[in-house]
Amino acid sequence: MKTINYKVPNGKMLKIKLNDDGMKITSVTILGDFFLHPESTIELIESALIGCKIDTEIITKKIQIVLDTSQSILIGAEPRDIANAIEKAMQE
Amino acid sequence: MEEIRFIDLEVHSAFENMAIDEAIMLRVKEGKSNPTLRFYRWSPSAVSIGTFQGMNDEVDVEFCKTQGMNVIRRITGGGAVFHDFEGEITYSIILPKRHRLAPDDIIESYRLLCDGIILGMNHLGIEASFKPINDVIAEGKKISGNAQTRRHSCLLQHGTVLLDLDVNMMFQALKVPLEKISDKMIADVKQRVTSIREILQLDVTIEELRNALYDGFSEALNIELKLDRLTSEELELASKLAAEKYSTTEWNFKR
Repeated sequence: MKTINYKVPNGKMLKIKLNDDGMKITSVTILGDFFLHPESTIELIESALIGCKIDTEIITKKIQIVLDTSQSILIGAEPRDIANAIEKAMQE
Repeated sequence: MEEIRFIDLEVHSAFENMAIDEAIMLRVKEGKSNPTLRFYRWSPSAVSIGTFQGMNDEVDVEFCKTQGMNVIRRITGGGAVFHDFEGEITYSIILPKRHRLAPDDIIESYRLLCDGIILGMNHLGIEASFKPINDVIAEGKKISGNAQTRRHSCLLQHGTVLLDLDVNMMFQALKVPLEKISDKMIADVKQRVTSIREILQLDVTIEELRNALYDGFSEALNIELKLDRLTSEELELASKLAAEKYSTTEWNFKR
């Protein structure tokens, strides 16, 4: 498992724990001191990313779709920050 | 003037404290309890982590165990907090959805509720201000951290106000990632966090802080605090939540 810390510019800390097959995410846990309302949306995001190609644009879009459909609010990080953090974890 | 129920400074374990906050929400949701402000302390001292954090990532659990400290996951986001029994007061405020003090905009509601802390600090002779997202700062440093959740048809905001800071103990209990420090180009937590006693160089007591916060919240929120006790239903619910949720490994080590 790959683990990295990522400080969102002017935002919160993200910690990503990632398993991948070289191309795709096989499992991911998004940790940190950010806020997400409702909190249960984190599990929706994490499962939506399974099987997702490790590509910033695709990951950003996937997260945004989950936020939109669940009418959730992410504070202290943007979907793109999580995508950047995942990409950084991939490079570990 | 609008009345808000007030539960005066009580001392509980971490598990009881977090359970009481949620129990009040559940009763407010049912319309069985009134909007509530409560003040509390943590005994034994404890570390709480944000709901999205990993316990073993943030906390030196073994160290806490040797010190007899509790470790607990909150239902709110945000960061890890060292709750020193001697060094802080925690407050929580529980409001039903659509209450005038619970605007939809989350940052706005932090700003509104944190005003209680800012006026409280003013009462002690400290200039303080709100720093989005969720901090109150004085002399450029954090003096209060706050966290919110919206669930059970309620807003819960709880937060801690630092009376004193045991940096040594805090650093041993928490694992602070290097990125958090290097990003801000500051390598010393003492330059990021302060306390009332540090600023005033006075031995302000817990009671004086309690009084200042009581006045601060009353004035800032334009409310009359009505002294009350937790109901037997709340206590029963809280003891169930403490036993079945907040004290369990399953909850606390979930992430």
